Amino acid sequence: MSKDDIFKKLSDAIITGNQTLVKKAAKESLEAGIDPLEAVENGLSAGMRVIGDRFEKGEVFLPELLIAADTFNAAMEIFKPAIEEQKKELEASGRVLLATVKGDVHSIGKNIVATVLETNGFDVIDIGVDQQSLSIIEEAKKNKADVIALSALMTTSMPGQKEVIDILNELGLRDKFKVVVGGGPVTADWAEQIGADGYGDTAFQAVKLINSLING
Amino acid sequence: MHQNFLDIFKKALDGPVMTENDFEMKRFMPKVGEITRKYGIKYDKDNPVPDDDRAADNLFNAAVEFLKEVGVYCQDTNRVMEFSEEEIKYSIRNVKTECKAGDGVESGIFGPRKPDDNKLPWFHVGSGIVCSSKEIMYNLIEAYASIKEADSISISALDSIRGIPVSVGSPAELYAAIEGVKVGRDALRRAGRPGLPIMNLISTAASAETTIAASVPQFGLRPSDGWLCGAISEMKVDYGVLNKIAYLLNWGANIGAETSPILGGYAGGPEGTALVSAAYIIMGVVVMMADYQLTFPFHFNFGCSTSRDVLWAVASSCQATSRNLPSPVIWLGYIGAGPNTRQYFYESAAHILTAVTSGAPSEQTPHPAKAVKVDGITPMEAIFAVETTKAASKLNRHQANEIVKKLLEKYEPNLSDPPEGNIYQEVYNIKTGKPNDEYIKLYDEVKEELFKIGIPYE
Repeated sequence: MSKDDIFKKLSDAIITGNQTLVKKAAKESLEAGIDPLEAVENGLSAGMRVIGDRFEKGEVFLPELLIAADTFNAAMEIFKPAIEEQKKELEASGRVLLATVKGDVHSIGKNIVATVLETNGFDVIDIGVDQQSLSIIEEAKKNKADVIALSALMTTSMPGQKEVIDILNELGLRDKFKVVVGGGPVTADWAEQIGADGYGDTAFQAVKLINSLING
Repeated sequence: MHQNFLDIFKKALDGPVMTENDFEMKRFMPKVGEITRKYGIKYDKDNPVPDDDRAADNLFNAAVEFLKEVGVYCQDTNRVMEFSEEEIKYSIRNVKTECKAGDGVESGIFGPRKPDDNKLPWFHVGSGIVCSSKEIMYNLIEAYASIKEADSISISALDSIRGIPVSVGSPAELYAAIEGVKVGRDALRRAGRPGLPIMNLISTAASAETTIAASVPQFGLRPSDGWLCGAISEMKVDYGVLNKIAYLLNWGANIGAETSPILGGYAGGPEGTALVSAAYIIMGVVVMMADYQLTFPFHFNFGCSTSRDVLWAVASSCQATSRNLPSPVIWLGYIGAGPNTRQYFYESAAHILTAVTSGAPSEQTPHPAKAVKVDGITPMEAIFAVETTKAASKLNRHQANEIVKKLLEKYEPNLSDPPEGNIYQEVYNIKTGKPNDEYIKLYDEVKEELFKIGIPYE
């Protein structure tokens, strides 16, 4: 079986969410002596990109995206020891701290962004919903985040996004982190008004934005 | 068996313990797939407004099973409130079929409708879209109340109070809620309809404390208004919601169960969203003790309710529940396009025709610009909704389906990037509260165009 055939098998298994198949293909890949990092990029990630495109077009939905992400992780359990053995490291695209701001207990949008970020190679620290502004900043410092991503689903919780940025400014930490905002009532105007580095209308726009902020 | 709210609340203390993630991933999501497959629920993209009564009843039965199997997650106790089929069916049999709302000559009875029903829906007018000033808020509410058909209204919310941004749970929220209510009641008085029920209380408030504080009679609110208690997507509650319900029950006020199923989220595609949407209406009755309900299914990516798949989910779940659960439900559409655009009217008409012919007891003024733009609504959209709702009540589902397909042809390609349109002060004169000529001309042109494709305006 050629390299390309194995990559296709890995990719197809991601697209169909078939964990048995992905594990089998991952083992075949290692047995064939394919560089595991190459298999991750050209097989698993390629499959995730297909699912991502379909999600963005509204052809598949969150359950399919989550199943694909689980399948990806199942294959990574097989690839990771081989990658570590080669003394290589999976290079994360960047580290993102994700939170829904204080007073707001909505999680779906944030969770979708987390899944899309993870499957695009970002290291995601999701600290959950209803988070105090200062706790968000402390967690971002502790985890050495590149980006703080703040979700708000209510007009009355949006000020929480501004508060995080204001506190970062007050503490002289604003230049340490990029800050992006999102959520149902959040707009580009709001992002600009509060001094955020950007705004994502959809999960995929958010990921593109974060990617461009970190990686140029 | 009879249960009061304490029995319901006790389930949040006694149900199986589970993380929220496990509830979503291991319970909610798999059951959506399992039950849609078991009941053979199938999306028909060629018919956004289906008219198959058997399919509607099948969906309702599926939704009962879904609620029984999944339950409702309580975020504060990390437990699942579980309900037996017997408990669910008892609540369905004993549903509150009428909501008495309003005061004095403006009081009325908001009741159920059936699919293809020629009975006029309850006219719920307006929105809680945020306003930048009390002046605009006043103008909007006075204009809503001046629509003679209006049975109840939603009042706007203020985005700040004396320059302090309104944030959830803060004193600013409480001040803004009280101010908003006072402005609302005064604007109703100026329109000559002081007793008209306000059904979106408290629009600036998400916290139970604020709802309770602003209900003090001296601020002008009454139990005969409508008090919204929002479930958390998907199928979750917290103590904040439960506290509001407990308070409103003790006070004897109208409880409005507010739900927003998300197409593209954990419910998946249109089939799952239709299932969850119907289950939410049942949940409103079983768990939230609703006197009336407000529901607005929307698309996760588009942020609106007028994509073909959401319309189908709205039609299907509305038919399922209006045939089997006579609860007074307000259906609300989020529209992609903003005021003073042709597309707003196309989308709005599509949503209204879909819901009204599917048996919606009420259709609220569809909210422009995804309801996220400050000052992003005018009275013109409310007038359009009332006129189109009246016209839609003369149609049946089959007729609506044909018109909605034509409307979709007009706006579907632009749904991912809809025109933003204008804000209130750009198309209305703040001093006179009247629209400019450009908007009046557009309104007349579009209505003429819609009349020609079959909407029977008077």
